[in-house]
Amino acid sequence: MRANQTLDAIWSRRSRAFREETLPYFRYMGQSGFPAFMSLILISSAIGYLSLIRQLPADFPIAATGVFSLMLVLCWSPLRTWLGAGDTVFLMPREAEMDSYLRRSLRYTSVGSTLLAAIVLLLYIPIYSQGPAINSGWILAAVAAALKAGNVWGAWRERQMTWSGMRRLMRLLRWVTTALVLAVWLTCAAMQAAAFTILVGLLFLLIHRFPSRHRLPWERLIEEEARTRKRYYVFFGLFIDVPTLPSRIAKRPYLTWLLRAVPYSNRNTFVYLYTASLLRTEIGGILIRLLLLGCLITYWLADAVSLSGWGSFLVFGIFMGVLAVQLGGLRHVHRYSVWKHVYPLPDKQRVDQYLKVDRVAMLICAALLWLFMALPLALSAVYTPTIAAAAGAIFYVAVRPSRLRKKMLADADEE
Amino acid sequence: MDAILQVSHLTGGYSPRRPVLHDISFEVKAGEMVGLIGLNGAGKSTTIKHILGLMKPQTGEVKVDGVTLEEQTEKYRAAFAYVPETPVLFDELTVEEHLRLTGMAYSVQNSQYEGREDELLQQFQMLPKRKAFASHLSKGMRQKVMIMNALLAEPPLYIIDEPFLGLDPLGIRSLLERLVEVKRKGAAILMSSHILSTVEAYCDRFIVMHHGHIIAQGTLDDVRQAAGLSMRSGSLEDAFYKLVTGGND
Repeated sequence: MRANQTLDAIWSRRSRAFREETLPYFRYMGQSGFPAFMSLILISSAIGYLSLIRQLPADFPIAATGVFSLMLVLCWSPLRTWLGAGDTVFLMPREAEMDSYLRRSLRYTSVGSTLLAAIVLLLYIPIYSQGPAINSGWILAAVAAALKAGNVWGAWRERQMTWSGMRRLMRLLRWVTTALVLAVWLTCAAMQAAAFTILVGLLFLLIHRFPSRHRLPWERLIEEEARTRKRYYVFFGLFIDVPTLPSRIAKRPYLTWLLRAVPYSNRNTFVYLYTASLLRTEIGGILIRLLLLGCLITYWLADAVSLSGWGSFLVFGIFMGVLAVQLGGLRHVHRYSVWKHVYPLPDKQRVDQYLKVDRVAMLICAALLWLFMALPLALSAVYTPTIAAAAGAIFYVAVRPSRLRKKMLADADEE
Repeated sequence: MDAILQVSHLTGGYSPRRPVLHDISFEVKAGEMVGLIGLNGAGKSTTIKHILGLMKPQTGEVKVDGVTLEEQTEKYRAAFAYVPETPVLFDELTVEEHLRLTGMAYSVQNSQYEGREDELLQQFQMLPKRKAFASHLSKGMRQKVMIMNALLAEPPLYIIDEPFLGLDPLGIRSLLERLVEVKRKGAAILMSSHILSTVEAYCDRFIVMHHGHIIAQGTLDDVRQAAGLSMRSGSLEDAFYKLVTGGND
């Protein structure tokens, strides 16, 4: 009992330490234009949502929207454990007592993700009610709660799995199963849906019996915690200098050809290095996800010729801004690298080569985003917003290098 | 023989009021391997940082290939390759991408690069790991990547800090064979290590540091003499022990 209290105290102390560590960064974020920017997005989304539920198009994909949006929030099951590398030495000997520690972690993280799922469900129900609405909102809420519990359990079992390949397979299965169960509840009668859910649930339980598991997956939990912390700092890095944490690397073999395309020559040394960093670090990952999301939303608005095409223009501008800020984080990646000083290359050359990578990346992002706006609008014979967006993007890409160069010189002076 | 590295009356450290290095002078000539030895905290790594240009001398100067860092930055930096004590790799690059980056940074001709890359990967038993990311390598393998990078550049001077940490026996042998080979071709090598038997077997001269001072330097006989041992009697380890403990058993 006494030992349990101690582990409980460790959990509380670590949680408090993280809050205290990140509080100043949240303050910096508050002082930046980010809250205003988010408010703008929130207000415009709220207006869009209200006008959508007031006049829902007859061919609106009600069930597909529900499956997609609810699946995302129900399957997402993060876990904050505050565990660090040293815990394999200090906490591992007390593994037998770790149940209460982890239960607290599960409780702590499940509350947040459940709340998010509840909000999405509340937003979805007005859309759902305008369709056939075979089952009541209360039933949907009960199903969502059961699915959330199942996903939290499933995600924990996946973390315990010994083999990464099996863990990924089971995660895919969990997401697909959740989507299927949601689709059935949104389109079929309660009895049929309940029978299907019970069947799938039993099958899911059965499959989970087979894979080999750790009792407590220390390494995976430590890695997950490190990744979560890294994400916080990548986010804070948009507003202020943050401590450098080891970056998480993704191989992204489908993009390696871009790295190979960099010519082998002394004047491309840093082009090569920064391209690799862009393609394989978290910055590149976020950039790719943002770009995909931006293209999708721009396309939707352009296809609907919303606000005579100016809706997609606005979204194009917002995403260009977010992508530019995210891409700007690349300049911090090798800021403290010893090789920057050891390689026989002048610092000016490093800055020039960095700017080259930045310019090409920005141009590719802008061009892709613009195409998803220009093509649907051209089909509707709307051209002015497209031309305005192209002009704005060209102007921005032209002035960005000199602004970045100033920032890099200021960084160098600080060092 | 020309001196590739000249350190003259170097005093330096992290704070002007408390210098770590006190008036140290030595040189490393072409075709020579010099062992830098001393206890932990003797000032070996600080000396290396001054040579790399990561720290600025308070007094004195460091010349590589006849120039100081301020005089000709690029010539100075192109003249040496560095193997740090702790491998410092880019996690986002694979083993062969590290070699390619080094080849680009040190302007190794493309035609020479591919041959050298394959030869090094083979010699250090890293062919199966050529596409592995740095973050997936063991400490010894990371050290091998550092060493291969230095050898790929083929500069006139090698600065090697504790190269044997974590290396497997085959790796140590490959490294020593390559160092002997580059020395024969005329390269200068400054190697810091605690493995005194290896240093004694492979180095031509020795620099013994203690509390930021050079307390002995020269051939093994010179070091023996400084330690108060008679000529041709006792190993480098015996002489080193006498020097740093003041001869008290």
